[in-house]
Amino acid sequence: MANFNFKERVIECKIVYYGPGRCGKTTNLEYVFKAFKKTTSGDMVSIDTKGDRTLFFDFLPMGLGKIRGCDVMMQLYAVPGQQKYSSTRKMVLKGVDGVVFVADSLEVRRKANLLSLKDLQGNLKEQGHSIFKLPLIIQYNKRDLAEEGFPILPEDVLEQDLNSKLKVPSFTASAVKGTGVWPTLKECMKLTLLELQKELKWAG
Amino acid sequence: MSDKDRIRSLLKEAELYKKQSLLTQSKGKYLNVLQIIESSRQLGNREKLLDAVREKMRAVEEKLTEIDEAPEVPELSESQHNLIRKRFSFSKDKDKAAIEGAVALAKFGQYEQALEQFKKLLRQGILPVVVAKNIITCLLSFSTADAAVAQFSQWVSRESLSRPQLKQIRAFLNSTFGKKGIKAELPKLDEAPAEAGKEDEEGDAVLDLSSISIQLESGPLKGETVEFDVTFQSGNSVSVIIPARRKDLLDSFKTGMELSDIQCFSPIGFFRANGVLFGKTEIKDGPKQGDYLLEIAINAD
Ligand SMILES: Nc1nc2c(ncn2[C@@H]2O[C@H](COP(=O)(O)OP(=O)(O)OP(=O)(O)O)[C@@H](O)[C@H]2O)c(=O)[nH]1
Ligand SMILES: [Mg+2]
Repeated sequence: MANFNFKERVIECKIVYYGPGRCGKTTNLEYVFKAFKKTTSGDMVSIDTKGDRTLFFDFLPMGLGKIRGCDVMMQLYAVPGQQKYSSTRKMVLKGVDGVVFVADSLEVRRKANLLSLKDLQGNLKEQGHSIFKLPLIIQYNKRDLAEEGFPILPEDVLEQDLNSKLKVPSFTASAVKGTGVWPTLKECMKLTLLELQKELKWAG
Repeated sequence: MSDKDRIRSLLKEAELYKKQSLLTQSKGKYLNVLQIIESSRQLGNREKLLDAVREKMRAVEEKLTEIDEAPEVPELSESQHNLIRKRFSFSKDKDKAAIEGAVALAKFGQYEQALEQFKKLLRQGILPVVVAKNIITCLLSFSTADAAVAQFSQWVSRESLSRPQLKQIRAFLNSTFGKKGIKAELPKLDEAPAEAGKEDEEGDAVLDLSSISIQLESGPLKGETVEFDVTFQSGNSVSVIIPARRKDLLDSFKTGMELSDIQCFSPIGFFRANGVLFGKTEIKDGPKQGDYLLEIAINAD
């Protein structure tokens, strides 16, 4: 749940990028960091291995300015996608307000996407959240690979696989090129803030 | 598509997956290529081709082992430590949050820094028994039993902790050593009659646990460590849930089994314990219907 500090009039929300290993979570955050240097309110911190896999988490704080006199801070995190880091994923997910699920469009990662989404559902459930209720956006990443003739899954197959029950907003993206990164995040922040308004019972 | 074209496109894929660190997938594509070459009638120069592809595949395999063997706990900078402490503590209460932050460091394998924080908290007199036990656990995780004994002796000689507190810590050390099969002499605490009856405020019960992780010693998942969030706790017994879909996990737990290595995490401390599984029941209704409830008696000291 978002953290309110009424005395200092600061609201902190937490958005977590989730998805299978190597799907492009870190690349998403790196693009946001580069493209929105002005809005990000601190450096991006990545704790990773030599092979660039995220080991603990990526962290990127963003200031969204004031809403009703309160400073709103969005804290963006990315989990390690590799299956074996399950307990770290749980730690990073704690206190989450919104999730961006990054799916890998590569055909060879079809099953990995499904497993990761299930893992997300299970971990949210353990923390008392329903995947059907929490603000959630799905991103189909690595679309650029189609141009080079690599086997990637068509969007409707990905939709069918991952979003036929959830029916949440979804976006195609190429995190290396930056396309689709901001629309994904913007939509997630929008849903997260709407939820926050409900929590605070702010009108409209 | 001719064999040549198929090979060319597979090699291109293998290279991409290698570049993206999808190493298993990369290796898979190289294996496909090898199969095609081996069974192809159209290709000349087969031996040379096979060698070249095998060489590429070996490079991928090497990377795979490198990753398997890489240290799982990186060295972090001070600002990264501070970030972990700040971002992984959730209590509004300042003291509790400070302990949570130190526990988070330990959870991320940063024992030395966790130790530093715990020592600071001890000096400030914050939940001394909890903090002292955490100090012992940290020392045993990254240093030696001797270091833990030396630390305890220091506490005894400096009288920075009260006698009942020292007694609890001594019992904790004894049981931890017992479990690990460590033989060590702990300094004796002579009875001080005036204090003997005094109750310690913190009590001796198991802390409120947020999660436990259990190393499985038998069954289909032998050798693996599984983590559960604690859904309910009453004194020393905790309940955790196994989702219906995890049949492999369900089969790993049998009522009455002893669990010799349980890591217990509470918002303000972590420690190792053993325990007994005394209940395994299916949940009959509600949102978790079909899942199983495990009940475990934790024996912390
Ligand atoms: N072609 C292409 N490659 C991408 C894209 N996004 C990420 N990649 C590549 O995929 C690989 C993995 O990207 P990361 O951002 O590290 O993936 P991750 O999800 O953070 O991976 P983990 O930390 O292991 O969970 C890198 O080689 C990226 O360059 C994309 O949109 N297109
Ligand atoms: Mg990453």
